[in-house]
Amino acid sequence: MTRAIVRYLPLLILALAWEAAARLSLFSSLALPPLSGIATAWADLIRDGELLDNGLTSIYRGAAGLMLAVAIGGGLGVAMASSRAVNVLLAPLVEIFYPLPKSALIPVTALWLGFGDGSKILLIFLGCMIPVTIGAYNGARGSDHVLLWSARSMGASRLRTLWDVVVPSALPEMLNGIRTALALSFILLVSSELISAQQGFGYLIGFLGDTGSYPGMFAVVLTVAFLGFAADRVFQLLMGWLLRWRE
Amino acid sequence: MNGHAQIVVEEVSHTYRPLRGRPVRALADVSLEVRSREFFALLGPSGCGKSTLLYLVGGFFPTESGRILVDGKPVAAPGADRGIVFQHFALFPWKTVQANILYGLERQGMPRAEREARARALVDLVGLRGFEDSYPSQLSGGMKQRTAIARTLAIDPSILLMDEPFGALDAQTRALMQTELLGIWRRTPKTVIFVTHDVQEAVYLADRVAVMSARPGRIKTIVETRFGDRDPGLIRTPEFVEKVDEIWNLVRIEAIKAQDREAP
Amino acid sequence: MARVGDLSAPAAVRREGGGRSLNAAVRFAARSFSLALLLIAWELIARSGKVTPFMLPPLSAVVERIYADAASGALWTNLGLTLYRALAGFFIATAGGIVLGAAMSRLRLVRWFFDPLISVGFPMPKIAFLPIIMLWLGIYDVSKISMVVFDAIFPVVTATLAGLAAVDKELIWSARNMGAREHELIWQVALPAALPQIFTGLQVALPIALIVEIVVEMAMGGYGLGAVMMSASRFADSRGVFAGIVEIAVVGYALIKAMAAIRRRLLLWHHEAQAV
Repeated sequence: MTRAIVRYLPLLILALAWEAAARLSLFSSLALPPLSGIATAWADLIRDGELLDNGLTSIYRGAAGLMLAVAIGGGLGVAMASSRAVNVLLAPLVEIFYPLPKSALIPVTALWLGFGDGSKILLIFLGCMIPVTIGAYNGARGSDHVLLWSARSMGASRLRTLWDVVVPSALPEMLNGIRTALALSFILLVSSELISAQQGFGYLIGFLGDTGSYPGMFAVVLTVAFLGFAADRVFQLLMGWLLRWRE
Repeated sequence: MNGHAQIVVEEVSHTYRPLRGRPVRALADVSLEVRSREFFALLGPSGCGKSTLLYLVGGFFPTESGRILVDGKPVAAPGADRGIVFQHFALFPWKTVQANILYGLERQGMPRAEREARARALVDLVGLRGFEDSYPSQLSGGMKQRTAIARTLAIDPSILLMDEPFGALDAQTRALMQTELLGIWRRTPKTVIFVTHDVQEAVYLADRVAVMSARPGRIKTIVETRFGDRDPGLIRTPEFVEKVDEIWNLVRIEAIKAQDREAP
Repeated sequence: MARVGDLSAPAAVRREGGGRSLNAAVRFAARSFSLALLLIAWELIARSGKVTPFMLPPLSAVVERIYADAASGALWTNLGLTLYRALAGFFIATAGGIVLGAAMSRLRLVRWFFDPLISVGFPMPKIAFLPIIMLWLGIYDVSKISMVVFDAIFPVVTATLAGLAAVDKELIWSARNMGAREHELIWQVALPAALPQIFTGLQVALPIALIVEIVVEMAMGGYGLGAVMMSASRFADSRGVFAGIVEIAVVGYALIKAMAAIRRRLLLWHHEAQAV
């Protein structure tokens, strides 16, 4: 416990320094609102429902896009590893889209589906699919043939071994791919909402900034940043539990 | 004591054709018969194709030419009648000992209470009580192999295919496992095909030993190695030592041939 | 561990001949072939009438647009601006990241202070801070480049830390033995030894720099590939949008290739080169 406190102490120090600097008017109070002011604004935003409404919209979009990416990307990766035909068809596509900066998809999804949930979900789905597919593919390729043979000789059909052996074998690498996709989903979500949206965290940040409510703006920015960090930590815990069988 | 020919290998040849590189002839016109409930060893130098032959009997890939019959029927695919045990255990690392053993029973559709009871019995049979909820990464080599054997025995195959199962274990564990395997085999008699490169192990465990030539593998000769009693003291008796010598001389020539081929 | 697709080959089988360069050539041919197929498929699907020209403009029309932009100079202006800002941010992040990483590896206090900042900051969507940076630094290049630095510095710092931590202790000891002073140790011994890992961090940071620059342009408008693409989207100019995707894809690919080539050159003397 004390080790955690010592470790994160610099953050506390920064927070205190921030508050002190703001109160001492070292910077314009517009540019750097005191932390206490930001906290108050945060509470206000919660109370009048703004933060929750927009937050839930964002979380819904992010979760939907990410889950689609994981389910379909994971399935494709495993399929590519298991079937030469699928591999020949899809591997070149993956190789070509891998180096494409995923944010380049923001304008085209906006072009197709406007500024609402649909375009954001599509954006996150397309952008996040590639790391998941690559993780699943590499993981599935590494599955040991003796495991497959053992399963077959115990009565599992070919299809069954895909689920019983290939998918669990692919899990470690696939989870790493999902972790990357998780961080990417936050980036794509916030970016697209900052750029063009009528709801969501990014939109709220922009709105508060435009109307000069800087404490509120800071509050939402810090909330989003924290959520991104927390999601990664929670995912790491999940990974640790799912992979508890490893040495 | 010995039954009819349960496994018949007829003129089987096999060539590996890797995606890159030259094709390799692993087996050339191999024929043999394994009798029901016999402990049959396949012995030979590395690369002689003994594992390949085992995998073909297991049905993991089709023969190039010739055929293999099990109980009169040609082998077409892997099946629960031919259980397999691998050198590196092949346990599902994400499943506990108990879950590994239960796997085959689940595939058979055995009802829950029955399969849990059976799994428990097997855990006791191989002496792993207390470790049912451990993961393979927490077990020693010997314990992993015992789990693998329990898992394969769970579905009660009539044939047991063993691919150098004790090769990854240290000498003491290996000796213990050999004795344990014999004990299990006496209690639940099965047809066993046991692949090994260790002459002493083959002579100790098996009723008959097939000596294979260097690649491409052929059956050089088959030697009877049935001894009355198979307690551990057997390995010091003169009859045993003679037999090992006899077979070792047959293998030695092939081992040298195999080494020459590998050398640059 | 044999792979699923490989189970036909026993370990003793060796590969034929001088396979390596032939292999690379075959792979390149295969990739170009699939790229060609993809482009052809694009053109065919666009023309097939199954999708509207709005949704998927034909490749030929997009190429025409790119050509027109190039001829009018607009492409070069925008490309130049994007590259200038992304690379400026990248180089600052490189310099700052390596210095910070080196400082963290040597000075306990620095390490203690920055460690939580880095570990908390890494998974954060730092793009969320853009409005704050705009508030502080205005709406021109400075804030754009600052955002790029903010994002790109993280992989550089972590790679530098990891690389320095992995430097063979004996190397340091023998250098110290020969009288090397502290700063000489860092610049002439430790950093060069850590170079492969640091460079890997740079290879991660550069695409990030490009992505962030593009997003920032989309958010702030003005000139640059991202800005132009986003305004094309707002004006329902689908050819412009797809032209942007192609241009950015090419730039992204070129940067990755360039980094790989620089890596080979730079690390020629390193044992990594022999290991290949």
